Amino acid sequence: MAAAIETKQLTKSYKARQAGTINVVDHLDLHVEEGEIFGFLGPNGAGKTTTIKMLLGIIYPTSGEGFVLGKEIGDMDVHRLISYLPERPYYYEHMTGLELLKFYGSLFGITDKAKFIALLEKVNLHRDMTKTISQYSKGMQQRVGLAQSLLNDPKLLFLDEPTGGLDPIAHREIRDLILSFRDEGRTVFISSHELSEVELICDRVAIINKGVIARQGKLTELLKGGRIEITAEGVPESLLKNLNLPDSNLRVLASGLMLDMPEENDPNGVIDAIRSQKGRVISVVPRRKRLEDLFVETVTVKGGKS
Amino acid sequence: MKAIFAIASTTVGEAIRRKVLLIILLIGVLFIVVAPGLGILSARSETTVLKSFMLGVTQGVSAIIAVILTVYMIPNEIERRTIYTILSKPVQRWQFLVGKYLGAVMSLLLMMAMMSAVMALMFFLQQQSKNAAEIAELLKGPMMYFVQMSLLAAVAIFFSTFVAPLVNFFLTVGVFLVGVFFNPLFQSLQDNQNTATLVKKAAWAVNTFLPNFANYNVQNPLINQNSAIQNEGRYYLGITVYGVVYICILLILGILIFDRREV
Ligand SMILES: Nc1ncnc2c1ncn2[C@@H]1O[C@H](COP(=O)(O)OP(=O)(O)O)[C@@H](O)[C@H]1O
Ligand SMILES: [Mg+2]
Repeated sequence: MAAAIETKQLTKSYKARQAGTINVVDHLDLHVEEGEIFGFLGPNGAGKTTTIKMLLGIIYPTSGEGFVLGKEIGDMDVHRLISYLPERPYYYEHMTGLELLKFYGSLFGITDKAKFIALLEKVNLHRDMTKTISQYSKGMQQRVGLAQSLLNDPKLLFLDEPTGGLDPIAHREIRDLILSFRDEGRTVFISSHELSEVELICDRVAIINKGVIARQGKLTELLKGGRIEITAEGVPESLLKNLNLPDSNLRVLASGLMLDMPEENDPNGVIDAIRSQKGRVISVVPRRKRLEDLFVETVTVKGGKS
Repeated sequence: MKAIFAIASTTVGEAIRRKVLLIILLIGVLFIVVAPGLGILSARSETTVLKSFMLGVTQGVSAIIAVILTVYMIPNEIERRTIYTILSKPVQRWQFLVGKYLGAVMSLLLMMAMMSAVMALMFFLQQQSKNAAEIAELLKGPMMYFVQMSLLAAVAIFFSTFVAPLVNFFLTVGVFLVGVFFNPLFQSLQDNQNTATLVKKAAWAVNTFLPNFANYNVQNPLINQNSAIQNEGRYYLGITVYGVVYICILLILGILIFDRREV
């Protein structure tokens, strides 16, 4: 598959408060494939927004290069094929939802009212399209933002913290919309520090901390290394000890024995052994590694502030 | 072109809803409305005083509106991040800046037209005059002020591409006041045989590089028949062309700076 976004050693530095310069984005190598939802994760101040602004040509890299849909960043033609939802966006409050789409549509030369209404329907705002933005809730504002981001039928969307500051219901609406974008074949680049959100929808992620990418890859691969807990009763401790499972712990509980082992081990082998001794398996609980664990691990190991 | 117009008309939509501007406009209109009743008017020179008072209020209020309207225009777009959504569309920075400027000019036109209409009406009521020519003569003032304020708006937009709003405010007001009050002084310094060469050069520089806002102060010739401008049409055309050329230069410089700037 072709790359939707590719950066090579992309760097942005600012003058530091004391002396010298600081690399806010530091030799970044990003690779986002077409058609995927890519999560760009990092604590506040990690350099996410700065990276997105560089990719959009709003600010200029200090060094390195970047390509968006195969074109070098800053190429105006690409702006017809992409869209951007800024962090905590603001829309001209005196406009109605419909007027807002008209305004942004005219920036592309789009004047088709039926299209505006269809987009408002998609984000479930068609009943509120004659209300002004100042009367919209935060979630509604974010949805009208997503509607305007679809005006040009973009191949690639940049969403900067799209669920920041929203309540759980609004979260869910936004999440479902983002998933529908992927189903329509669009590439979605989401920056976020809300991991539970991203975990649910992203195909691949990069974790950035202090401008440096700490991890990048498929979510399923990054989250490998979970553990499984098997609790059983009516079997001797020696039986489970003799299985010689690497990296496993055996604990004696009131209700029986609990074996805690890496998920790579086959739980069926353990269960068979227990049952062959007429033991009873009480529970098998996978303790999957969560993005949050990975995140905390990555960020604290590298000495990040959060 | 469509993008520029969309940005401009959105700017107007915002401007006419800004409370500060509306309040200033309202105060100006109020002054004009009560002007005929002011006791300070001596019977003999009543008309003259009334005219200069109305024109003075129109000019002053327009200048305040022009500065407040434009100084925060670009910084606000950046602060509220509305500029990012716009620039991520196929809109070039020059289109954005020109759209914003045209929006400012259109807003000024709207507000100044309203003030002028009230002024014409009040003058008509006070004079009980059916003399349309006199009112038309009076309205030449706001027309020239409009060119003046468009130039002032261009100065503010130009500065706003590289300085902070507060600094911009003082710079713009400074350039305006120098242009309005001191330009004639510099002109006489420049023309006077006895001026030292260095002072002359400095006066020449100020006159040449700073916009000559005093050109547009046409109230005196409009009010006093004695000091009427010779060849009026040509003079008005001349200062309008001067204004437009100056505005274009300011906008081009502003665009060159804005294009390289991080927003
Ligand atoms: N114009 C600027 N000048 C100096 N420092 C900046 C500027 N813009 C951003 N930064 C710094 O860059 C870092 C990254 O910011 P940002 O990209 O907004 O982080 P994130 O979006 O990941 O929260 C922050 O420490 C911020 O203070
Ligand atoms: Mg950010």
